[in-house]
Formats: sequence, C-alpha cells, structure tokens
Amino acid sequence: MSHPAKNASLTLIRNVRDEDYDEEQFKPLEWGLLRRLFSYAAPVRRKLRVLIVLSTIRSMQLPALVLVATLIIAGPITSGNMRGLALGVGGYLLLALWTDGMFHFRQRFALEIGETVVNGLRADIFAKMQRQPMSFFHRTKIGRVISRVTSDVEAMRVGIQDVLFVSMIQFGQMVFTAVAMAWIDPILFVVVVAMAPILWTVNNHFRMRFSRLSRASQESFSRVTATLAESVNGIRVTQGFVRQETNSGLFRSLLADHSRYNMDLARASAILAPLLDLNSQFFVAVLLVFGGWRVLHGGMAAGDLVKFFFLSNFFFSPITVIGNQYNQALVAMAGAERVFHLIDTPPDWEDDPSACDLPRSAGTGAQVEFRRVSFGYAPGRLVLHDIDFTAGPGMSVALVGHTGSGKTSIINLVSKFYLPTQGEVRVDGLEIRAITSKSLHRQMGLVPQQNFLFSGTVLENIRMSRPEASEDEVRDVAARLDCLDLIEALPRGLRTEVGEHGSGLSVGQRQLVCFARALLADPRIVVLDEATSSIDALTEARLQKALVTLLKGRTSFIVAHRLSTIRHADLVLVLDQGRIVERGTHDQLLVAGGHYAALHRQFVQMDDLPPS
Amino acid sequence: MPKPPTAVQPSGPTNWALIVRLFGLAWRYRLHCLGVLGIQLVLLTMGLLGLNFTGVGIDYIRQKVAAQTLPPGSHPLVAGTSIFHFALPGSWPAMKVLGLLGGMILGLAVCRAVLNYIYTVSVNILVQQKLVVDLRGVVYDKLQRLSFRFFDANNTGSIITRVTSDVQSVRMFVDQVLIQSLIMVISLVLYVVYMSSLSPGLTAACLATTPLLWLMSMGFSRRIQPDYARNRTLVERMVQMLAESVQGIAVTKGFGREEEDRARFAAANDAVLTQQHGIFWRLSLFTPSVGFITRINMMVLLGYGGWLVAHGRLPLGTGLVVFAGLLDQFSGQVNNVANIVNSIQQSLIGARRVFEILDAPIEVKSAPDAVSRPRLEGSVRFENVSFTYAGPGPAGGPPDEPVLRDINLDVTPGQCVAILGATGAGKSVLMGLIPRFYDVTAGRLLVDGIDVRRLRVDDLRRNIGLVFQDNFLFSNTVAANIAFGHPDATQAQIERAARIAAAHDFILGLPKGYETVLGESGNTLSGGQRQRLAIARAVLLEPAILLLDDPTAAIDSETEHEIFDALDRAIKGRTTFIVAHRLSTLRRADFIVVMADGRIVQRGTHEELMRVPGPYLQVADLQLVDNLMLQSNGPPDPLLP
Repeated sequence: MSHPAKNASLTLIRNVRDEDYDEEQFKPLEWGLLRRLFSYAAPVRRKLRVLIVLSTIRSMQLPALVLVATLIIAGPITSGNMRGLALGVGGYLLLALWTDGMFHFRQRFALEIGETVVNGLRADIFAKMQRQPMSFFHRTKIGRVISRVTSDVEAMRVGIQDVLFVSMIQFGQMVFTAVAMAWIDPILFVVVVAMAPILWTVNNHFRMRFSRLSRASQESFSRVTATLAESVNGIRVTQGFVRQETNSGLFRSLLADHSRYNMDLARASAILAPLLDLNSQFFVAVLLVFGGWRVLHGGMAAGDLVKFFFLSNFFFSPITVIGNQYNQALVAMAGAERVFHLIDTPPDWEDDPSACDLPRSAGTGAQVEFRRVSFGYAPGRLVLHDIDFTAGPGMSVALVGHTGSGKTSIINLVSKFYLPTQGEVRVDGLEIRAITSKSLHRQMGLVPQQNFLFSGTVLENIRMSRPEASEDEVRDVAARLDCLDLIEALPRGLRTEVGEHGSGLSVGQRQLVCFARALLADPRIVVLDEATSSIDALTEARLQKALVTLLKGRTSFIVAHRLSTIRHADLVLVLDQGRIVERGTHDQLLVAGGHYAALHRQFVQMDDLPPS
Repeated sequence: MPKPPTAVQPSGPTNWALIVRLFGLAWRYRLHCLGVLGIQLVLLTMGLLGLNFTGVGIDYIRQKVAAQTLPPGSHPLVAGTSIFHFALPGSWPAMKVLGLLGGMILGLAVCRAVLNYIYTVSVNILVQQKLVVDLRGVVYDKLQRLSFRFFDANNTGSIITRVTSDVQSVRMFVDQVLIQSLIMVISLVLYVVYMSSLSPGLTAACLATTPLLWLMSMGFSRRIQPDYARNRTLVERMVQMLAESVQGIAVTKGFGREEEDRARFAAANDAVLTQQHGIFWRLSLFTPSVGFITRINMMVLLGYGGWLVAHGRLPLGTGLVVFAGLLDQFSGQVNNVANIVNSIQQSLIGARRVFEILDAPIEVKSAPDAVSRPRLEGSVRFENVSFTYAGPGPAGGPPDEPVLRDINLDVTPGQCVAILGATGAGKSVLMGLIPRFYDVTAGRLLVDGIDVRRLRVDDLRRNIGLVFQDNFLFSNTVAANIAFGHPDATQAQIERAARIAAAHDFILGLPKGYETVLGESGNTLSGGQRQRLAIARAVLLEPAILLLDDPTAAIDSETEHEIFDALDRAIKGRTTFIVAHRLSTLRRADFIVVMADGRIVQRGTHEELMRVPGPYLQVADLQLVDNLMLQSNGPPDPLLP
C-alpha cells in the first residue's frame, strides 16, 4: 500500500530515510527480557507484590458488581421484595466503595512502579553509555540514543505498568464472568464462548494492520517534517533564488501524499470499531432468539436471561483489551531488547585495572612522548603510521597538514580518547595505558574545535572543568586571559545563559569561554583544536593574546589553522597522509623549503603580498 | 515613499476573537460538517432503536412466561410490547416474534456498522484530506514569503511546530470541539428525552450526579494541566541534557568530569520522577471518584428503578434494561466534556500561533505599479541609507538601534566592492538590502537607477546571485542543488556553472557524479566543496549582481585557495559585493569599504587605504606582521605593532 509521490522527479529533498524505521517494531515475549525488565522494579518490590494482590482482587470485584446488580434484578425486583431490594442496593454500595477505594492504590502503585522502572532505565543507559570510549560516540548517532531514552523506554513503561496488570485483571474478569455464566446456564454459556475466538482473531488481525499502516504514515510524516525543516533552514536561499512558488507546490503534493497514508489508516480503524460493535449486537440477537427459546421451552428462568445480557459484555470486552495489551507487550519487548542491547554493549576498551594515577607535579608541563605509534579508527585502516616524537615539559606542538592528514587523531591519542593500535604513548614516562583516564584528564585542558558549550550560564560552563572553583577564581581566570571585560559586557555577565551550542555568543566569545574553562583546570597539558572559521581581526588579536597566556608553562598540542599560532610553536609537526613528513620550528621549516614551505605559500598567498 | 515596517503586535488577539475566527474557518467546511452530523444523528437513533428492541424482547419473553406460569387473576405485567407504537403481532407464535426481533436487531446492527464506517471515513476525509492539508499548505506558503526578520526572531523548532502540531490543534477546533460538542448536545438531548418518556422521575434521579461529574472533571483537568505542562518541560530538559552530554562528550571526558555530568543527569531524571508522583496522586484520586459516582447512578437505578418495576410502574426490559444501557452511554458523553474543554484550550493555543504566521505582514512585496526589468545592468547606489530593526533586534538585542546609518555608496556595473568590519558592524544587513531581504528605513537604494522598492521583487532577486557565509544545501542531488534557482536548467547549463565554480572535477569524483544525493551517509562535502557548489548555484542564473557574504569564513586556511579560482571567475563582469576579513580576498576588490557601528568609516583601494592610518591599516598590519615576519625570518614579535 504505497503511494509514490506524484512529482517524483522534482522534490525539494531526497533523503529522509530515518534509520529508526529499520528497527523492529515487535518482538515475541521472552522470559529473560521480562525478568530483567522487572528487576528494575526492585526499589518498589513491596508495591509490586501488593499490586499483584490488588489486581487479583479487582478481577473479581468487577464481575461481582455486575452479578450483584443482576441478582437484584432477577431476585427482589422481579419478586417485589422491598426488604431484599434495600439490602441488595446497600450491598451494592458497599461493594462499590470497596472496589473504587482499592482502585486508588491499584492505579497509583502501577504508575509509580512504571515511573521507577523508567527512571532506573534512563539512569542506567546514561551511566553505561558514559563509560564508553570515544569510539562508541564516533559511530553512534545521537538520534538513536535519544529514541532509546524516549520512545523505547516509554514502551517499556507501558509494558510494566499496564500490560501485566491490565491483562491480569481483564483475564480474571473473563474467567470469573465465565464461571458465573456457566453456573447460571451452561448451555447458553457454550454459545457465548464459541464467539470468543472470532473476536480475538478479528481484533488481532486489525491491530497488526494498524501498526503497519501507522508506521507507513509516520514515515511519510517524517518526509513532511524533514522538508519543512530544510525549507526553514534554507529560507534565505529560497527567497534569494525566488523558489517560493515551486517549493509551495512541492510541499502541497507531499501533504496530499501524507494524507493518503492517513486515510488508509483511518479506513482500517473505520472497519474495526463497527465490526466489534456488530459482534456484540449479533450476540444480543442470538441471546434473544436462542435464550428466548430456552426460556419458553427449556425451563430457563427469564431472570437468568437478563443476567446474561449484563454479564456477556464483561466476558467479551476483555478479549479486545487483552489483544491490545498483547500488542503493547510485543512493542515493549522490542524496545527492551534495543535498550538492553545499548546497556550491554561492552566498551571497546576500559582502563587497565592495574592503571595508577598520573602524579601531579604542580607548575610544570608534562612530557609527552610518541614511540612508533600507528593508529586506525577501524581495523585494517591505519590513519597514523609510525609517529615518533617527544614533547618536553612546557613545549607547544603545532600540528599542520591538510584535512585528513591525521592531526586530530594525534590529539585524540594524547587525550587517551583512543588507544594506539601499535606503539606507545608515554606521559611523564608512563605508558598511557598504565595511567587512569580520570587522572590524566584532570591534568588536561581541552579546547574542542566547535567550542562546545553546555546550556547553562557562562559561569557554569567555565566552572565545568573544576566545579569546586569559586566565582572569584573564575573571574581571576578570565582576567588573566584579559577577557573579563568582554564577559562582563554580556547581557548578564557571567550569568548570561548560553543556549544550545552556545548560541547567543559570537564565535570569538565562545572560544574565550572555552579558553577560560581550560585555564581554570590549571592543566599540565593543553589540547586545542583551533576553530577554522575566521573571526574579525580585532577579536582575533585578543584571542591570540589569550592563547599565549593559556599555553604558558604547559605542554600543548594544537591543531593549527592560524599562522601566528604555528609561528609561536616550539615544534611544528607537518603531517601528510598519517605520517610526519617534516618537523622543526616555523623558521627552520621555511628555510628547508619543503612541504611546509609550500603549504605556507598557499596559506598566505605570497603573490598577494604588497612589496615592502 | 519609504515607510517604516510595521512592528509585530506583542499582544495577541483575545480568546473570543480567536474563537470567532475559528468558527469562520469551520464555516468553510459547513456542508461536510453537516453531513457528518446527519450521519451521527441517524446512528444515535438506530442505537436507541436497537436497545429498545432488546428491551421489547425481554419483556415479551417475560410476558409469555408469566402467561404460562402465573395464576390467572394476578395483576398483569407492565411490559412494553410495542416498538414506537407499532404493536407486536400478538397472533404470531412466540418464536416467530423473537426471530423477527432478533432479525431486526441484526439488520439494524449491520446498517449501523456500515454507517459507522462511512462516518469515520468522512470525518477523516474532512480532517486529513481537507482541513490539515489546506491549513498546512497555506501556512507553508505564507512562511516562504515572510521576511528574514521573522526567521531571525523564531527558532527553527518553533516554526516547524506551527506547521505540524499547531495546525493539528487548530483543526481540532473543528472536529474535536465543534463537531464533538454538537454530537454531545444532540445525544444528551436525545437520551434525556427518551429516558424521560420512560420515567421522568427515574431520569431525574439517575442524572442528579451529572452536574457534579461535570464540575469534577472540568476542575480536575484545569488543575492537572499545569502539572502536565511542567512534566513536559522537565522531560524535555532531561532529554536535552542527554543529547548535550552526547554532543559534548569530548569536553566531559577531556576534563574527567563524567561523575559531575552523571549527577547533573540524575538530578534532571529524578526531578521528573518526583514531579510525576504529584500527578499520580491526583490522577488516582480522580479516576476512582468518577468511577464511584457512575456506580451511584447504577445504584439509584437499581433501588428506585427496581422499586418502580416491582410496583408495576416500569417495564423491566424496555424500562430498566434500556435505562441501564442508556446510562452507560450517557456517562461516556458526560466524560467527553472534559476532553472538549481541553481541546478548546489546546486549539486556542495552536490557533494563536498559526494565525500569527497567517497575519504576519509580508513586509517585502512588489508594489502594484512595480517596474519589470528581466535583465539588469548592475549599477547599485546607496543614497543616505539607514536601517533600523523594528521591535527587538535578532537575539533580543536592543530595539530601535540603527544598524546602518547614512550609507552612501555608488557602484558601477562590473565593479567589485569589498566590505570589511567587525561582527555587528552591519556588513550583512548592508548586503541584505540589495535583494530587499530588508527594506531601508531611511534614504533609498537604487539598482540601475531605479529605487528597489519600485522594481518587481522577483526580477530583482533573479538578477542577484547569493553566496552566504554558511551555505545551505538541500538534501538533494548535486545537480538539483546547482539548479535550485532555475529548476528547468539543462545538464549543460549546470555543468557550465560548475566549471566556472571550479566544482566540475570534484563533482565527477563523487560516487554518482551530478546525481549524488548530498547528506546521505558518506556523501559529506568539505567546506570548500560546499562553497563552490554555492557559487555554481549563484552563477547558474547569470546574475548581474553577485553578493558574497564572507564566503571563506567556514573554510580552513589551507583549503581557502581552492575557492579563489572559483571566485575570480564568478566575479568577472558582475557587480560584486564581498564581505571579507583576509587580505588575500580584500585585495581582489576594485575598492574597499570599511564599516564600524553601521557607518562607512573608510573607503578606497587597497593601496590608498594602506597609505593612511586608520582601521584598515590596523587590520592589515595584524595580518602583514605575519607575512613580513616570514620574509625576514625574524623573531616572533608582539602581536600588535
């Protein structure tokens, strides 16, 4: 049931294939998964036990209420026994009070158990994921992680808070109603039971169809939203190139396409509901004719027929409910499998248990040594070959080369974000594997290329590298970088909120905050991936000055894009296709007239220089 | 005449104005709505009939039984043996009558099933095929024409929600509020009339709790709404924290602060849990209470109704049994009130946001008597141009602060002007005035000697090629992206543009050449490649004017040279405005304009500006220090001369 977009040749965007749709929607029930899922309810174990008891009782209470009502009708009302009627109604009231009073606990406990499980799952996902090394984040899409924490965990919530208990109650209700009906009139009961499988089959057939159709509709909707998002983000291009009308036409055909999927879904549900209704009407007709015959010719009491009219609904309605719950259970299982898979993914590597902390010798930079290091992100595809160099304490190392030459890989190894495939990286003479990641990182100052800031205030962002630092210390750091005035000029100074990806601050301001964050940690090693984008010249000059302060007395590794940065470096490593092709200071390399000199010419466009 | 653009009203319309407008929207679909209501009325009547048949059946059986067993002389049973005054054929054998009743119930059920199907489908046709498609189409269309100011002031997420879920909320007013409340009124009236015809006293007794139920559910929904809203906020915050910690994982790990990050997340996660407990309590008090009140109705029916039946004032089947069935459906409709009230609130919120877009003035449009100029020569002249954002500036900046002041600039066709200035100096706005992305607030801007406000906007923009700082490419094929401004372009035209932009070679190197879809796994382009595609897209139109907003900003210095060839060829023969920071680019211009605080503070050729002390020389020196240094191989100097 697919409707290709009418205008297949001309669309605004092509690839909206959301990978989520590759994922399984259902999974059969599995004991191991179920047990594990329920293990998350351990903190509320007592509530769980009480709830099971409550559910069992409730499954009897509901049919009991109906039974009492029918008994009153067939008994005192028919016989005109006023005392009996009063007693019956009083009994009904007490039973109703008991039923609904208990329902408070049945409902609240279920919701609380569900929330506890969800809370535990989220915490577990977060903790386990954070233990993963960088390679995990390199290959995992953020959208996937988010759908684990949102839709999958929500499906599991429904599984634990509804499916089990609702099914228990409904199933119990069915059984007790069946017993009551069999007790009233076994033959008529057989007729009722015979209809149950039909109802079950019809319902399940449609549920499955719904799931398929709604998946298709969601997919087509994701085409709508993806197109919309690009239309908004590309509005400048659209208006600049006068494409408004073409785009509107394309969007309308996309909407029409989406509405066709929705109509398919609507038609399917338009069949199911009347079909279920038809079933119960059919049953009423049968009851009237067959039951009437039994009353008139077979010695069944008329009152019993009335009881059947009331009870039959209690027998049928659980069938569809359980069917839907079963469907939910399968969805929850599929979610559980994905979530547990994420939790169970073993880290590619972890700190060696025998690793010890890197001793902190204050005031000096660390010595970092690469010994014949080779490295690849994927097995068999090395991106670094035989890297060999030593950066003495306090030395600054600039990494230079084209995109893909291996600059970032070197700083990833220094940061112990990845481990070398071959060879050794040593910090202060210790093999990096023998050092705990935490102790190494606590002595490092990192300035990432995108100048990543968390949402929160500027203060919080700077303090992130050393949460115990006081506000005065933060001010002091900013002052040392000579950027306190810039920060205080922000709308709310240090308390200015920076939004997603630090929006609200300019690139230069963001970089300064990152510098301050790194400096606050008082690191012995600074790792800096210089921003590629150009910043206006005056801000640039301030950044360069701040950088000198940041690097002073610390061993630093810089993926450099600015000439001035390279010029200040004690050692320039020129990389090409994962190898160090040249090394030395800026001046030495220029004189050598090799790779670097050529790169440099492109860099500054020598031919553009005015004669001086 | 220059007219300041009208500010967007901060205070929106009142709820009543919105409701009136929503009624207006529904009025457009009145026939369809009426049809849907008609079907529902028939369905309701048929439902009542079916219930009545059942009651008649029960009474009939009881009567026959009574006739068989009861001693003659005892008072006859009260029984409804007529269906809406059509008497059951008394002469027929009992089973034949029951068979007839059973057959009628079944026949009625089949008709209802068919009608129900038609009802659901036609409601969905109204909603899915008409309302939502129409509304989304209109909103999208309008969105495309809004000025950049709107996009500066609203984030992408909020704009997308207006077309997706806000439109859904608006349509809810038609199908959930209007149609549902009409159905509710009709069915409640129908039920009450029918029930009263059986026994007014019993009806009153059974429905006595209804107002209480109404009040309770409305009160509850009003109390719980803020809790739910708060819950959504907390969940969003938790998810955002998760997303951020994945995005910023290098920072967290780099500083060894995983534990603090985990604590942050745990706090957000637990905040959701704690807040939910309050909701759970309220919910678990409300639901059982409503359940209990519904059961009180049943109790009243049994007690009072039972008394009536026992005293022969009410038949059992057509009376008590039918009443029980009706009560059930009645309480369903009563509970619906809370849903309708919620829908009203939701649709008003959605309507406010949707109408805000539909009402936003299109600030830039062609004047009725606009001049048509399919081909422009490309002379550009700024005469005392000033520009001020009306209302708050982008990013909540101070309002009414002029962004441009008294700009005078004369550019002849084919000239290349470079613009230099710090962030916020007004460079991008200056360029944005030329294609009328913004309109001047004072002075005038002439292209080919004509005020741009008197030119047809489409003509003007088709004559202008644009290359932005960070160029947006659509997730479509390379060819479609280049041909964006001219979808009917031939392959030859596309390739020619690509050659001019020095993009042809790398495009051929892509997996599927010009048919490669951008953004698919692996098909990511480098900054330089993206920029060259953007240049190709701009030159495909053969524009007389080319606007380049810092085209090398997002590119490494190492690869910057890649696009210089492209730029040189693209600029040739076109009036060009280029925002740049690097000397290498600035030197390519015929003359340079230096901006600060919205004013032109310096102008001249590179050579001229290098001779006078001023901001240009200052910036140039910063970069020249580097260059001179490498010539002399001297020791590193302080950064500022």
